[in-house]
Amino acid sequence: MLMNLPFSPVFLAVTHHTGTAATIYYVLAAILAITVLIGISMMSKVKTAVKGNLLGSVSMLLMIVLTLWYWNIFSFVELYISILLGAVIGLWLSVKVNMIQMPQMVGMLNGFGGAASMLAGILTLIAAGDGASADIFSLATSGLAIFVGAFTFTGSMVAAGKLHGVITQKPIEFKRHALWTALTLVLSLLTVVLLSIPAVLAATVAKTIIIIFSAIISGLFGIIFAIRVGGADMPITISLLNSFSGVAGAIAGLAIADPLLVSVGAIVGASGLLLTQIMCRSMNRKLIDILLGKTSTPQVKAIQSAAASVTAGAGKTEVKVAGAEELVADAVQTGPAYAAWLNDAEKIIIVPGYGMALSQAQPLVKNLMDELEDAGKNVEFAIHPVAGRMPGHMNVLLAEVDVPYEKLHEMEEINPQFAETDVVIVIGANDVVNPAANTAEGTPIYGMPILEVADAKHVIIMNYDKQPGYAGVDNPLYEDGRGDKIALLLGDAKESLKDLVKEYRSATSQAVTVAVTEDTVPAYSRWLKDAEKIIIVPGYGMALSQAQPLVKNLMDELEEAGKNVEFAIHPVAGRMPGHMNVLLAEVDVPYEKLHEMEEINPQFAETDVVIVIGANDVVNPAANTAEGTPIYGMPILEVEDAKHVIIMNYDKQPGYAGVDNPLYEEGRGDKIALLLGDATASLKNLLQELREYCG
Amino acid sequence: MGLEHLILIVVFVVSMLVGYKIIDRVPSLLHTPLMSGMNAYSGVTVLGCLTATAVAADMSNTVSRILGFIAIVLAMINVVGGFAVTDRMLRMFHSEGNDKGGK
Repeated sequence: MLMNLPFSPVFLAVTHHTGTAATIYYVLAAILAITVLIGISMMSKVKTAVKGNLLGSVSMLLMIVLTLWYWNIFSFVELYISILLGAVIGLWLSVKVNMIQMPQMVGMLNGFGGAASMLAGILTLIAAGDGASADIFSLATSGLAIFVGAFTFTGSMVAAGKLHGVITQKPIEFKRHALWTALTLVLSLLTVVLLSIPAVLAATVAKTIIIIFSAIISGLFGIIFAIRVGGADMPITISLLNSFSGVAGAIAGLAIADPLLVSVGAIVGASGLLLTQIMCRSMNRKLIDILLGKTSTPQVKAIQSAAASVTAGAGKTEVKVAGAEELVADAVQTGPAYAAWLNDAEKIIIVPGYGMALSQAQPLVKNLMDELEDAGKNVEFAIHPVAGRMPGHMNVLLAEVDVPYEKLHEMEEINPQFAETDVVIVIGANDVVNPAANTAEGTPIYGMPILEVADAKHVIIMNYDKQPGYAGVDNPLYEDGRGDKIALLLGDAKESLKDLVKEYRSATSQAVTVAVTEDTVPAYSRWLKDAEKIIIVPGYGMALSQAQPLVKNLMDELEEAGKNVEFAIHPVAGRMPGHMNVLLAEVDVPYEKLHEMEEINPQFAETDVVIVIGANDVVNPAANTAEGTPIYGMPILEVEDAKHVIIMNYDKQPGYAGVDNPLYEEGRGDKIALLLGDATASLKNLLQELREYCG
Repeated sequence: MGLEHLILIVVFVVSMLVGYKIIDRVPSLLHTPLMSGMNAYSGVTVLGCLTATAVAADMSNTVSRILGFIAIVLAMINVVGGFAVTDRMLRMFHSEGNDKGGK
């Protein structure tokens, strides 16, 4: 019955086959739709996937031939020219693209598909003429094709631009963003409605204007929608746009009554929708939040509460390590970063404040100074004019504990020296070192001269808490995520100083041992040597650093030593679904070694060493505990279950979600080794250490 | 809205359901190739562009012919680029032995 139905689009100036030929067309179309489905289902296994893809592309070619035949349009030469041109460009692009650029490539191609659907909608409307012979269904779907196609096009281009770094990856928010979103959306839909009214089409000028306006306003909607999605939310956006490009095609198919187009477009739409769901689940995001751009704003609060819970946790772990005496040596080797800073420093400036006075920590400050000077370091003091509760307060206190007054410098004298200083130790001072004084117009301290401690290479800040100082202005130095430059020791100044001295001593003793005997190796080399089962967790940091070949090397060397090496792939690691799998496949890592999260999570408990390479949020245990943070409840790779964890990360900043990672906390050296810096460099180091140690 | 429109909508819904079911079986290992493959399929809109452009050529509507030409080129870039890139990616997936992906 279906075969004989006269599918007749609005604009039939060209006549298609009828009768038996039409029946053949529908039969062949149905067969091709089924081969497409078979091709797609073959994509579910690696072994058959290449063939599945091939089957799909051949089906597509046959669809084009079938369409040309059915509509009797073989004779139009320009069709062949455009097909050939597009094919050549597409082939050229596909050869040229690097694997690392794959997300933006997919985004861009997606946009082209959207644009083509938009144009198909426009063409249909033009062909509908004055609309006299048109039916509302075809007109409405043509309008919809313009709308969905146009915003898929611009949205994909913005997404591709972001992924390529042409547009900033940070969410961009316009003033009244929600209003603009709503306005462009409503106007776009309004044009769709207008274009469905045959009477409107009768006026040629009005029709042309509305079509152009519709394309532009829908395109604007796409831009406004995509521009405020952050870089790491891209897996979701790309999947969603993928879905829309299929839907746009299907709608265009409805407009011109092409069942093949409808069918295949719908399949693509479903696929994109499914991927979007999976991505949302894995990133702990609600789709509606992404669409409404709720990615950035609620994070501020979350960071604060996360920071609070992290600090609380830090105290606990430190106690544990101190208790386990025999582990202290291990812990030292990856001890807190600030101990290493001090150890490497040549010039150190101490900035005392009222907090030191309150805690009566002056004797300890003197001790610290002596120890550092004994190690050949240059130690000076910077005294702000209003530090303390009376003029020259600090000078008095320090003189009392026998700090030579030559070492106490006034602000104007010492400020230029910060830039050439390795480490500044701020002890209980807040407002007098608050950089907000330089920038935060309208605050009470704006314009106040401060000690420019931020100019130094590293800053160690001891303060009772992170509350603003007397002036009530938040201190940017206390912000999270500056761990590579700033160390924050909260609590009583005396206790913090004791900790610092202890850590520093451990660091030096370790450095001395290394220098003298040269046979002390990093703990992680020993872990790896003794390990039987090792799991590698790759992340976007690996991709950025292009460290995949080294990862493969590492895997090979470990396997040659008889160890079992597997990979754990988080569903949203990277910038698009399955990103890590592609990158690792490129360097010949066998796909049997790439395991999905659900499959590998139970295995961590029996794993000796986990090596995390440039992944952060996807292994952040805060997702299990830190209620109220954006990642709370997100499924993660439970690397903490393993005996040892080696983490390579660029820095200790929180990941995209803005939640501090408890794995980066100090004082867990017996379990966790942190290698900061570029992943390639870290991997090279690790490989070298390993070769030296294992022979 | 005639019967043919209803049938088209049925085709749309059924395809979506069947597609969803089939794609649900694809492991996350292959999500990127799946997405770029789907991306290639979304270029199926070229079918619509072909018909519409032929109509425009028949009606000697120059604007439409130019737009149609652009549309076909874009859709074909989408189709060919998508399939080729997917093929390139899939061939990179190697097994533990020497057998190459898909062979």
